Amino acid sequence: MLAPFAILFIVFSIYPVLSSLRLSFMRYNAICNPDQAPCGSVGFGNYAQLIFHDDRFHKALSNTGLYVIGAVSLGMLASLALALALQEDTRANRVLRVIFFLPSVTSGIAVVLVWGWVFRGDQVGLLNAFLNIFGIAPIEWLATTWMAIPILIFMSVWGGAGFGMILFLAGLNSIPAMYYEAAVIDGAGPRQRFRYITLPLLRPVMVYVAITGIIGAFQIFEGVYLLFPTSVGSIGGLQDMALMIVPYLYDAGFNKFRLGYASAIAWILFAIIFVVSMINLKISRSLEDLK
Amino acid sequence: MERSGAFTNPFESKSKSAKLRRIPLYLLTVVMIAPYYWMITSSFKSVKELQEVPPTFFPKKWITGNYYDTNYNPGMFQQDVLQGLFQRYPDLKFGFFRFIFNSIFVNISITVLTLFIGSLAAYVVSKHRFKGKRIIYLVIIGSMMIPWQVGLIPGFLLMDSFGWLNTFWAYIVPALPKAFIVFFLTQYLSSIPDELVEAARIDGASEYTIYFRIILPLLKPALIAMMIFTAIGEWNNFLWPLIITTSQDMATLPVALANLRNSGAGNIGTQGIIMAASLITSIPTIALYFATQKHFIRGIALSGLK
Repeated sequence: MLAPFAILFIVFSIYPVLSSLRLSFMRYNAICNPDQAPCGSVGFGNYAQLIFHDDRFHKALSNTGLYVIGAVSLGMLASLALALALQEDTRANRVLRVIFFLPSVTSGIAVVLVWGWVFRGDQVGLLNAFLNIFGIAPIEWLATTWMAIPILIFMSVWGGAGFGMILFLAGLNSIPAMYYEAAVIDGAGPRQRFRYITLPLLRPVMVYVAITGIIGAFQIFEGVYLLFPTSVGSIGGLQDMALMIVPYLYDAGFNKFRLGYASAIAWILFAIIFVVSMINLKISRSLEDLK
Repeated sequence: MERSGAFTNPFESKSKSAKLRRIPLYLLTVVMIAPYYWMITSSFKSVKELQEVPPTFFPKKWITGNYYDTNYNPGMFQQDVLQGLFQRYPDLKFGFFRFIFNSIFVNISITVLTLFIGSLAAYVVSKHRFKGKRIIYLVIIGSMMIPWQVGLIPGFLLMDSFGWLNTFWAYIVPALPKAFIVFFLTQYLSSIPDELVEAARIDGASEYTIYFRIILPLLKPALIAMMIFTAIGEWNNFLWPLIITTSQDMATLPVALANLRNSGAGNIGTQGIIMAASLITSIPTIALYFATQKHFIRGIALSGLK
């Protein structure tokens, strides 16, 4: 009875991962596959190239880093604020919760296409039309290099805040009311109750929201793919302003057909996510110990 | 023990400022709804109206031409008349319906099969004793730490070597083994006493009888939660379908949507059609969410915080 899952799992989950590790040490492209000379093994060549020489990859790394920091921190703040604001179980709050959660179930592509219209550079762009009321001339949002990351962060917060909110709400609801009652008897005001009861007891949820948020943010693809095409057959926008790790992986693998190189990118992505998650867990543990 | 819900101290009265403080919340709500509003209204605007500067907030005249334009004549070019969404793709047998069918077929196949296979595995892992079980479970859990893009390139090569590129096989089969589902269902089953299963075994029930008669009914709430997650996740999946489809007819809705946009990129007149397609792509998951809201929220809380 375990067999169907086990076989599929080995063939489609474990094998690709191991195979990708092997490929990441290979030269494998449109004209030669790794089992033929002069291709074959390049040792750590792909990794060395990526880490020391590939400027586009460095750009992708720094863009992704900025994006992850912005999207996760702002996203968590927004989620927590929403959860606190909508905590009371009234009808209005239930409706608002549904509305804020809606983006989590909506097709990312559909959503990105609407944002694409909002941020259009010409006069029919919605944001430009709105600013025009105040006499501000149209701005090329998607072609202004420093704006790419903030726009993607904004889209991420808009799309993800509701999901974090649900998790925080579940966390808030599991805090026993008697803690608050005891605090009130001891004379604690709302601010103190938040600081000394709500925040510490929410820590496990925060760690969970942070880690899943970070993992998700590192894998951004759709927004970059649709809003920031460079030209035919490339990705990342003007001067690679929106180039990120997964879009670069896609570019290397499926536009340039450098499959070994793309596999090495994938493993670096894994290493980064792994290390960041571990650091996150460590920090939360040591905070726990501090108490 | 009483749960806090929202704790309010009866002695700290709610002032008017509390109501005022909710104003930013309502402004944010407008920002949340605006894209949906725009998607819906724009899909009913005429090409002429879409080209207006500034854009109209509310359609002057609601038209359905972006879906199906009765004025459209393939043999004749007319200004401001475009092929409606369901008139496009004349090479495909059912036009745009083909993508809807692809999405539905892929979605249902994956959801049903992945839950069936996953629940079988979860039953074995949680209610059977055999050598190496711990290691198998650890590998399954460990695999969840690896971002799925790591297997992207070999996965693609595997599909190529099987001759599965551009077929339903490539959509469905690799999506079936989902570690998270096995993990979640195993956790869920661990709270069910083993005696229940053992008693049935002593009575001579076969493994499949136990699975269908005892395990499946007990798993129902967990399966419903997982079903909703899987269905919504697969419906919105983009990168894998993008890679494995090489011809138009095998695209699912998100891929068709991206192609539609890339083919008419920048032309404001086609935006109405793109919004129509976006709306059609978005409605099924939103409808599923509305229909199953209670299970949904409980499922997130269950899977996230255990």
